[in-house]
Amino acid sequence: MDFIYSIISPQVLSQILVGLSRTVILFIVSSGMSLILGVLRIPNVAHGSLYMIGAYMAFSVSHFFGGSDIGFWLALIGAPLGVALVSLVAERGLFQYLYEREHLMLLLLTFAVSLVFGDLVKIVWGAAYKSVPVPQVFQGFVLLFGNLPFPRYNTFLLVIGPLVAIVLWLIVNKTKIGKISRAAAVDREMVGAVGINVSWVFGIVFVIGCLLAGLGGALVSPTVSVTLGMDHTLIIETFLIVTIGGLGNIWGALLGALIFGLTQSLGILIWPQFGIIFPYAAVVVVLLFRPTGLLKSTW
Amino acid sequence: MAGRAGQKKYINLYIAIAILLLFPLFLPRFYIYLISIILLYGLLATSLNIVLGYGGIFQFHHAVFYGVGAYGIALVLTKTGFPPWIGFIIGPLISAALSLIMGLICIRLSKLYFGMLQISLGSLVWAIVYRWYSFTGGDDGIHGIPIPELLQSPNGAYYFTLIITVISMWLMYKIIKSPFGSVLQGIRDNPVRSEMIGVNVKKHQLLGLVIAGFFAGVAGMVFVVVDNTVFPDMMFWTFSLEVLIMCLLGGWFSFLGPMLGAAVVVALRTFVSTFTVYWALVLGIIMILVIFFLPNGILGYVEEIIKRRSQTGSTIKG
Amino acid sequence: MLRVESVTKSFSGFMAVKNANLDVQQGEIVAVIGPNGAGKTTLFNLITGILKPDNGRVFFKDEDITGLPPYEVCKKRISRSFQIVNVFPRLTVFENVQVSVLSQKKKTWNLFTPSNRLVVEETVEILNNVGLIDKKDRTSALLSHGDRKLLEIAIALGGNPEFLILDEPTAGMSPEETSRCIDLIKQLSDKLGLTILFCEHDMELVFAIAQRIMVMVRGTTIIQDTCNEVRCCKEVQDAYLGGSEVCSV
Repeated sequence: MDFIYSIISPQVLSQILVGLSRTVILFIVSSGMSLILGVLRIPNVAHGSLYMIGAYMAFSVSHFFGGSDIGFWLALIGAPLGVALVSLVAERGLFQYLYEREHLMLLLLTFAVSLVFGDLVKIVWGAAYKSVPVPQVFQGFVLLFGNLPFPRYNTFLLVIGPLVAIVLWLIVNKTKIGKISRAAAVDREMVGAVGINVSWVFGIVFVIGCLLAGLGGALVSPTVSVTLGMDHTLIIETFLIVTIGGLGNIWGALLGALIFGLTQSLGILIWPQFGIIFPYAAVVVVLLFRPTGLLKSTW
Repeated sequence: MAGRAGQKKYINLYIAIAILLLFPLFLPRFYIYLISIILLYGLLATSLNIVLGYGGIFQFHHAVFYGVGAYGIALVLTKTGFPPWIGFIIGPLISAALSLIMGLICIRLSKLYFGMLQISLGSLVWAIVYRWYSFTGGDDGIHGIPIPELLQSPNGAYYFTLIITVISMWLMYKIIKSPFGSVLQGIRDNPVRSEMIGVNVKKHQLLGLVIAGFFAGVAGMVFVVVDNTVFPDMMFWTFSLEVLIMCLLGGWFSFLGPMLGAAVVVALRTFVSTFTVYWALVLGIIMILVIFFLPNGILGYVEEIIKRRSQTGSTIKG
Repeated sequence: MLRVESVTKSFSGFMAVKNANLDVQQGEIVAVIGPNGAGKTTLFNLITGILKPDNGRVFFKDEDITGLPPYEVCKKRISRSFQIVNVFPRLTVFENVQVSVLSQKKKTWNLFTPSNRLVVEETVEILNNVGLIDKKDRTSALLSHGDRKLLEIAIALGGNPEFLILDEPTAGMSPEETSRCIDLIKQLSDKLGLTILFCEHDMELVFAIAQRIMVMVRGTTIIQDTCNEVRCCKEVQDAYLGGSEVCSV
């Protein structure tokens, strides 16, 4: 273990791990947004609200079971499904009528929806802070690389991240809906012409994307205080991540989330006061050299 | 004919300005403050609309220029010994300069990527302001900014707002109606064709951005006079979207649309929030309805009706 | 006047234009013909700077204009109309042409003079020439297809060109509109002395107005000669017969 520390100080290593666990959340949420951007071409501002709703739903489920471990696991399943349901209603009720509108209109429509969602959350859950207990199994710390204390829950996140990535890869590459949606991302008229109901393909992709936002919210809930406005910073980060990754490219979202998560955590180490500017600066640098993102955009 | 129609149009305008001038005589202080806010938000939204509705540029983070203009004057007034008028000039100029720099960086990207890079750069500015406690006051902002005595009374601030707004709106109207304005609209409609008729698209867009940034800075400067404070939320991206909403609500193909949109948003926030805390919900629902049923905004819809009436009128005559 | 020398352009491996040559003399009307996908529009895009050629050179009045951006090409007094209607949809007919004239007169940086008083005469004259003066206050998006094609030409004329490139000027027009358009093109050549390069599918029209014809097949120019020579040329007949099996001409 001394070998590792001779290259990298424990402090830096621990910040990298913290950054990676942040990356997991960012990746899960932004891969959902990227999916929607790639196939439906909607810059969905309400994505952040769905993330927040996911966190609140996780709180409700966990609270219902008295903060027990079983409650946590059910929250992890229930919250994304609940968010998926909400998004299904929004998609069938609103968005499906506006796919042909210009991006600016869609952006504002989704912003309007996010305003509505924000207040609905206030109505349902109130304005007070909520907290979700970390389940028993994940309380405390593990010692990584010999003697580096690291929260168990973050270790769990580091496992979940790749798992989600693999599942997403399977869905996109191995399932029928994945193949259709990839085709629709390139040429939606063609997909319609061969007799596939594009409207429903879009609906399903939208719901899957939003489900990921909900999952992100549920996963993050034990590590933060669940509060109104938690969507505001996240949505902007998500937007920037999918932009530097290449609009619509899920692996770009992974790359973008890595850049964002790591610059965030290491930036705090380098210059505590201005730690938050590092990810934004990284985005600017990336876009200066690769104006359309790091990986190939589907646009 | 055209001259007389033009005069008639101006008469309405003069009456409107006269009423605005008389307001402080009978309206309570609160309403005077409210109208000042409407005017300066309207000025801000109109400045955005130069590049958005007339220029077709996805200016997603316009509030940055507003905020920077406000901080510019606030910092001159609080941190330096310069005479105040320098602050009033420096605020908008800093906004224009920032607009030029950000424009130079973003302009080579098209549409959505332009907007995204702008959000990113804007967030960078916001983050610096938000954290630089020793210089910008950090998340607290700066309060009790010492503005010149003449403008300290509510009426003084109100008349200052009104005069600056009217002058700025007049200048922006001139610009929209100028050859440059025509070219800007041509670029919005068809950038490829614009290049083909000899227009250097990027340079014209850049000038449009600088103009929009300058007037956003003017709006920020006016806010400092009205409210005597600055705070980082002035340049947070949600406020940028709110300004976009003002343009959409009023109608971004009408010159006065954004002003009307600003009035609607400010009035909603003020009056709806007196009987419910859920004013954002109301605004959200109104916006959804507007997007579905009035895609050209309220004023755009009114203009459409007037146009249709006059056309049916003329066909009957013909 | 215009000389294109072995210009080549490929899009991700596909050779859209391959070693194309073209020569247009002052005052001439030259037609480019060829099957769909022969690379005619791409060639025009290469001349006008919308695309940059991979190889070869373009000369205008013996000046090398290869790879200049479109707005610079336009300043050399080369104008073009587009095959797919490409006007300013939200502007009125008058404003469409006016913008073009303003740009030609280098007034686009003027911020404070109302544009409704500027270059009115020039604009009206062009609208008179193309026969759109009655419709000058209509929003161009609401025009009929034929009128929009005419507006295309009017916008191009706004640049006060010496050299006019027309990409399928009559595509989608009714027979009456087509004959009006033919008259217009002849008039532009005779009265204003414009040099005109155009491409067209309508062979009747081509033979009616072109003085010389260039034939393009699969990105390459195979012959450039007078109408009669081209009509009789075996290569051309082959190309068209061969082409008609794969795509309609």
